[in-house]
Amino acid sequence: MKIEERIEELSSQLYEKFKDYGISKKEIAKRLKLLLLEFKVPETEALRTITNYLVREYQIPKEEVRAPTTKVFEIKEPGRWISVKAKVVQLWEPTSPSISQTGLIGDETGLVRFLIWSKAGKPEVEEGKCYLFKNVVTDEFGGSMRINVTRYSEIEEINEDIKVSEELRYPGELEIVGSLVAIQQNSGLIQRCNECGRVVKSGMCPVHGKVGWYDDLRIRGVIDNGENTYEIILNEENIKDLTGIDLEGAKKMAKENLDRSVVLSELKRMLLGKYLKVGGDLVGRFLMVRRVEFYKPEITAEIEKLLEIIG
Amino acid sequence: MDGIRRREVARRIFAKELNGSTHIFKGNEEKSPVYVLTPLGLRCNRVFIIAALLEKEEVQPESGIWRIRLADPTGSFLGYVGRFQPEALESLTDIEPPVLVSLTAKVRVFEGSSRTLVTLRPENINISDIEARDYWIVETAKSTIKRIKDMENESSEDAKLAKQIYNPNLDEYRKAVKEALLKLKEEYEVVESAEEEEEEIEELEFDFEEEEFDLSDLLEE
Repeated sequence: MKIEERIEELSSQLYEKFKDYGISKKEIAKRLKLLLLEFKVPETEALRTITNYLVREYQIPKEEVRAPTTKVFEIKEPGRWISVKAKVVQLWEPTSPSISQTGLIGDETGLVRFLIWSKAGKPEVEEGKCYLFKNVVTDEFGGSMRINVTRYSEIEEINEDIKVSEELRYPGELEIVGSLVAIQQNSGLIQRCNECGRVVKSGMCPVHGKVGWYDDLRIRGVIDNGENTYEIILNEENIKDLTGIDLEGAKKMAKENLDRSVVLSELKRMLLGKYLKVGGDLVGRFLMVRRVEFYKPEITAEIEKLLEIIG
Repeated sequence: MDGIRRREVARRIFAKELNGSTHIFKGNEEKSPVYVLTPLGLRCNRVFIIAALLEKEEVQPESGIWRIRLADPTGSFLGYVGRFQPEALESLTDIEPPVLVSLTAKVRVFEGSSRTLVTLRPENINISDIEARDYWIVETAKSTIKRIKDMENESSEDAKLAKQIYNPNLDEYRKAVKEALLKLKEEYEVVESAEEEEEEIEELEFDFEEEEFDLSDLLEE
């Protein structure tokens, strides 16, 4: 690329970034030319010098340079420091004590996964509320982008209702027919911490230690269609739809047998290796379940189709 | 974060194809997964099968290791369940052959001096039913047909490699798939006509009951 073209490209980028503060593109280009062509300064140094100059001259807030406010659809590269105004759309259960909260946030342009590290020491966010996530860093996880809230970040609740349009809400909606090939640990009749909802084992929450707990019914499993695997979580409602067993029923089973594990055994007997049709949103390797039912195949039609192909 | 290994997909494959496999891929790292390359070019580490469990027997008395044999329309699978597969072992205790079962299993290959033996190491086993078994045959037929086509078109590296190693007779596989499907089709035709007959029988029984009722009336008199 010719140096003139590069200068044009860089000045456009800087202009886009700071145009709200009344700067002119011409001025940026002039300065870039001086530094790059005449003084032969390295490109990164030139950009830094000009950015510093603009921040001073036009009173641009420092944060805006360090972590520019970004719309969700612009989050495409890992390792960027940004700020995002967004609504918490869904909270998922953290998979490790080092994670405080995780889930999906969205604005009018799209959805992105987020993660608040426990070490960040931030107050918890609530589903349906809007926040300004300041100075967060992006990374890529399981094939999709994610923003990370660290101790250098800030979360401010804002009094705005950000509209996450229904259409954008479910970007990866999918319907999968596959076999439930595995039911994983912490499934069945489980106990959750009163403080944080994490799974409690032998009366101990991984974060809050010895705590009060409540019962819940859920299955962590894997749906496999022979081409791909999808991790799913079935909640009480899903489980009731499939098996007729609800939380009260499960508690009764456990009480009658003096053993909580009978619930899991029964659920495994009813569901393992069965073909399910699951509708939901694909986020990385997770399929967030919205509907689930036993699959009823059209065997005769399928056979005819295949016989035709095989000839 | 790519260090997290993706879960291996449970492939759908008929016994005939799986048992014909002799080639193995082993990774360089100690814990890297082992794959078999099947004659139709499927790289496979885990399988999902619905088939008839025909036999289960303890390899040696009190050994705690059970040998199982399952049959699909094309042949049979051999598997071993021991204490390192606690979930499968527990469910196997309550399952008595012959019965239709579903199982998810890892594929193992033993290389003997004269031949190689493909076996299954089940992770879980559960009782299944005819409808699910039939859908499994359909699914497996579909994926086998796709592999046959891929091999004809040499459309993947694994297909090319498998052709070099095995040079399989594709017509033989096509025939096996077709037979499995035709058998299934026949079964459905029989079921449909049986259902019609059943309806007629029910009507007859209804007539009969009425007669009985009439008779009892007569007796009372």
